[in-house]
Amino acid sequence: MRRSATPKLGAYAGLGALALLAALATRRPELVAIAAPFVLAAVAGLTLIRRPAFDATVELDRERALEGDEVEVRVSLVAAVGAERVEVLLELPRELEVESGDNPVLLRLADGERRELTLRLRCTRWGAFRIGRLYVRTHDALGLFRHETALDRRLPLRVYPSEESVRALLRPLETQVFAGNYVAREKSEGIEFADLRPFVAGDRVRHVNWRASARRGELWVNEHHAERNADVVILLDSFAEARRAGRTTLDPALRAAATLTARYLREKDRVGFVTFGGSLNWLLPSTGAVQLYRMVDAMLDTQIVLSYAWRDVSTVPRRTLPPQALVLALTPLLDERSETALLDLRARGFDLVVIEISPLSLVPRPQDELSEVAHRLWRLRRDAVRGRFERAGIPVAVWGDETSLAAALEEVGSFRRRARAVGV
Amino acid sequence: MYAAAAGDRLPQVVAGVGAAGCALMAVAFLVRRPSVLPVGLAGVGAAYAVFLSLRSGAVDARAPIVAAALFVAAEAGFWSLERTAARGGTAPMARRIATLVGSAAVAALVGSLILVLATGVAGSVALEAIGVAAAAVTLAAIALLASRASV
Repeated sequence: MRRSATPKLGAYAGLGALALLAALATRRPELVAIAAPFVLAAVAGLTLIRRPAFDATVELDRERALEGDEVEVRVSLVAAVGAERVEVLLELPRELEVESGDNPVLLRLADGERRELTLRLRCTRWGAFRIGRLYVRTHDALGLFRHETALDRRLPLRVYPSEESVRALLRPLETQVFAGNYVAREKSEGIEFADLRPFVAGDRVRHVNWRASARRGELWVNEHHAERNADVVILLDSFAEARRAGRTTLDPALRAAATLTARYLREKDRVGFVTFGGSLNWLLPSTGAVQLYRMVDAMLDTQIVLSYAWRDVSTVPRRTLPPQALVLALTPLLDERSETALLDLRARGFDLVVIEISPLSLVPRPQDELSEVAHRLWRLRRDAVRGRFERAGIPVAVWGDETSLAAALEEVGSFRRRARAVGV
Repeated sequence: MYAAAAGDRLPQVVAGVGAAGCALMAVAFLVRRPSVLPVGLAGVGAAYAVFLSLRSGAVDARAPIVAAALFVAAEAGFWSLERTAARGGTAPMARRIATLVGSAAVAALVGSLILVLATGVAGSVALEAIGVAAAAVTLAAIALLASRASV
C-alpha cells in the first residue's frame, strides 16, 4: 500500500507552528490555544498512523453474455487491518454501465471485517473484457494520511453481439459432399423427387414408382436430389469504419456476422471467418457448436487497425476460402483496398455477395455549399462502386438504419434469382 | 468577525486582515485548491492575533471558542475540497460530522486548559524556551513529513 500525506497534514503543522511563533512574538497565551488543536491533530495523526491491509475476491455470475444483458459482479473485501474511510473503485470499460450499486463506494472497515459489494452491470456493447481490477484508497480518522493500492482480480467476460432478425438465408449456388439441408442438383439418396428412370439391377425396391410402372408395364424407379451442405465464409472488412457519437459501422457488421454464422451452422453448413483489413485473421470452415463459439470469440477480437499496406486476397490461406464457398462480405465500402479485393474474389470465381453497412447516418450533414458538393461526389462514387460490383455479377445490398438485415438479404436473393435467369 | 467586533482599537485593520483571509479561503473553494485554504485560515488567525496584540489587559476568555471555530472551519474546508466521487450513504457522513463536533469540543477544552495554565504561571525564560522548542519540533515534523511523503 502506498502511503502519502494529505495537504491537511502540512497545513495543520504549518498553522500550528505559525500560531506558536505569533504567541512568542506577541506574548499572548491565547495564540497557544489557537495553535493547540492543529498541533495536536498533526501529532495524533503521526502517532496513530497504521498501514491498512486488504484482500479482495471478485466473482461474476457468468462468463458469457449477450449485448443488452445484465451481469452481476460480487466483490468481497476483507480487511486484516481496517481504516476509517475506505473508497473502493471497480475499474470498468465504457461498454459496461452500472445499473445498480455504487461505483466507487465509500465504506468503513474495522480490523478483520468482511464486506460484500454487489454491482449489476449492463452490457451495452459486444467485446471481450477483463473485469476485476480494484482501486482502494483509505483515509485515517483525521484525514491526514492516505493509503492507496490496486488489487488485480480480473476475470474474463465475453459479451456477444445480439442477433439480428433474419427470415431466410441466402442459398449457396454450389453444395459440398457432406450431408446437409440443401437440395443438391445431383441425384442420390434424398427426399426431394428428382426424376424417373427405368429399373436397373441393384435398385432398391422401395424406390420403385408403382404408378409409373403400372402405366408403362415395366419397373420404373424414383430418383431424388441429395441433401447436401455448403461452405459459407463470412468476410469482414476491417480496413476502416465510420464512427460517430459511440456508433460505428463495425457494430452492425459484427451483429450480422454473428447472426449469419449461427443460422448457417444450424443448417449444418461449414462456416469460416476472415477479417480482412489492417490485421488479417481467419478461421477455417467447420461445423458445430464449437465452431460457433470459436467464430464469435474471433469476432470479439476484431478491431479496426489503421494500415497503409496494400493487401490482396492472395494473402488469405487457400483452405480458408474453399472454391465453391458462398462468401458473404460485410463492408462499409470505405476503403479502395476492400473494393479491389472483392472484385478479385469474384474474378477468381467465388460466389460472392456484398452486404454494404451504410455509413451515411454516421456522416455529419454538410454545413456549406462546398461540403454539400463533396458529400454528393462521395455518394456518387459509392454508387459507381456498387455499379462495378453489379456489372461483375456481385449482388450488393445496402443495410442502413432504414432497412433490416432480412430486407437486405432478400434484396440480394432476388438479384441472384434474376441473375441466374439471365445467366450471369 | 469576533475580533473586529470585540476590538476597541483599529477595528478596520483587524477587519481588513480578517476579510483578506476570508477572501483567500473563498478563492480556495472557487479554484478547488487545498493548498490555498491554509493561507486563508492563517489570514483569519492573523486578524485575531492583531486584535490580541492591540488589546491590553487580561487574557481573552473566548480564545478557546475562537480556536474551536477556526479548527472546525479548517476541517470543514478541507472536507469540502476533497475530490471523491465515492458514495456511501448517510452513515459515513454522520460519523464524520460526529468526529468534527468531537474535535471542536476537544479543541475548546484544550484551549481552556492552556489559558488556565497560562494565567496561573508567570512569564519566564523557561516558558519562552518551551515555546521555542514547541515551534521547532513542529517545523521538524514538517520537514520529516516532506522527506517521507511517499512510502
